[in-house]
Amino acid sequence: MPIASNFLVPNGTFIVVLIAFILVLTVISKFVLPPLNKALTERQEQIRGELEAADKAKADAEEADAERRSVLEQARTQARDIVSQAQTTADQIVGSATADGQAVHDRIVASAEAEVVVARQAAVEQVTARVGEIVLVAAERVIGREIKASDHQDLIDEAIAAVRAESSGAAAGAGGAR
Amino acid sequence: MGSGSLLSPLVGIDISVGDHVQRHVFGLTINVDIVWATLIAGIIVITLGLILRSKATSGVPGKFQLLWEMAVGAVQTQVDDSIGPRGAKVVPLAITLFVFIFTCNLFEVLGIGSKLDWLPAPTSDINLPLAMALYVIVMVHRAAIKNRGTGGYFKHYVSQPFSPKLFPVNMFMNVIEELVKPVTLTLRLFGNLFAGGLMLSLLAALVIWKLGPVPIGGILSVPFTLLWKTFDMAIGAIQAFIFALLTILYFDTAMAQDEAH
Repeated sequence: MPIASNFLVPNGTFIVVLIAFILVLTVISKFVLPPLNKALTERQEQIRGELEAADKAKADAEEADAERRSVLEQARTQARDIVSQAQTTADQIVGSATADGQAVHDRIVASAEAEVVVARQAAVEQVTARVGEIVLVAAERVIGREIKASDHQDLIDEAIAAVRAESSGAAAGAGGAR
Repeated sequence: MGSGSLLSPLVGIDISVGDHVQRHVFGLTINVDIVWATLIAGIIVITLGLILRSKATSGVPGKFQLLWEMAVGAVQTQVDDSIGPRGAKVVPLAITLFVFIFTCNLFEVLGIGSKLDWLPAPTSDINLPLAMALYVIVMVHRAAIKNRGTGGYFKHYVSQPFSPKLFPVNMFMNVIEELVKPVTLTLRLFGNLFAGGLMLSLLAALVIWKLGPVPIGGILSVPFTLLWKTFDMAIGAIQAFIFALLTILYFDTAMAQDEAH
């Protein structure tokens, strides 16, 4: 077998297929891959942009959520403050009303007591003014003759003094018991 | 012919290798069948590429575009990992090599093991693998000279892997290595595809095995051929991948910044 026709030895085909291969390589690397890479890069950019937008949207949503939470918390705090303030005001009103009532009551009671004392004093005065007269009348009826007031002025005065003392002692006792 | 022999039915069959339709032009012998198969493979690759280009979109890609983008992405990753950004120019070469060799290798599926196939795998002839391997190696050396400068390029031969004092040893090893690269690159691809064609011839030759009137070989050769062709397609893909990968690795070595290897 002559060496020129051995299947391991290249022949003129080499040149033709080399040219063919370089042609294919040129077309692929000049006309096919650049637009393909461009599309690939563009898609990557697009995806990156979309991911960034999604991240931003997520951050926005989180921010809004936080804001909503803080507003809610603020509103809650405010409501709590308002309620406690109202409670305080109500307590104050109740307290002052109670104090006013007590004062009015005390005043009424005090003036009533004063009136009572005055009335009692007046009654005692009246009674003591007439007690000698009454006693004398009663004594005349008992003994059947006229008795002159001037003759027994000492006795009458003594009795009146005793009554006065008793009444004022009673009044004092009543005042102390109250 | 051993039609009666059970053990060695194929003894005496003459399977010829390296037969081509040949023409002589300007004193050169041209294997016309290889040339037209190469041209058809090239036209297929270019046509698919142009179709892809016309359909390429930055929006949702079609299945075909996705397949291409996966291949491109895989090569791109490989190049980025080994060479880095400087290797950007290697990507189109590696992709073209992979796609073109794979397309050529698929032609073998059409073969029926006849003496002359209408559309033989162009890679099963030594010319195309040698052409591609030499092109790659020339480009690799060009890249090495660009990377290291002419002085650095030649210095690289004597200064490593051992100390420069042993420069004859270094030189010997490096020259052998560089000479072996295109040879192995060529013979690996050619050998695999050539053997694939040979297997088809052998399976076709099974047909003459008969036991009396029963065509045992004919019955067996059908499933065997189908099995083999399935396997052969995988081989074709793997060889295309290896060729492209080795190309990237050779460029990696040539473009390596320094004494890392």
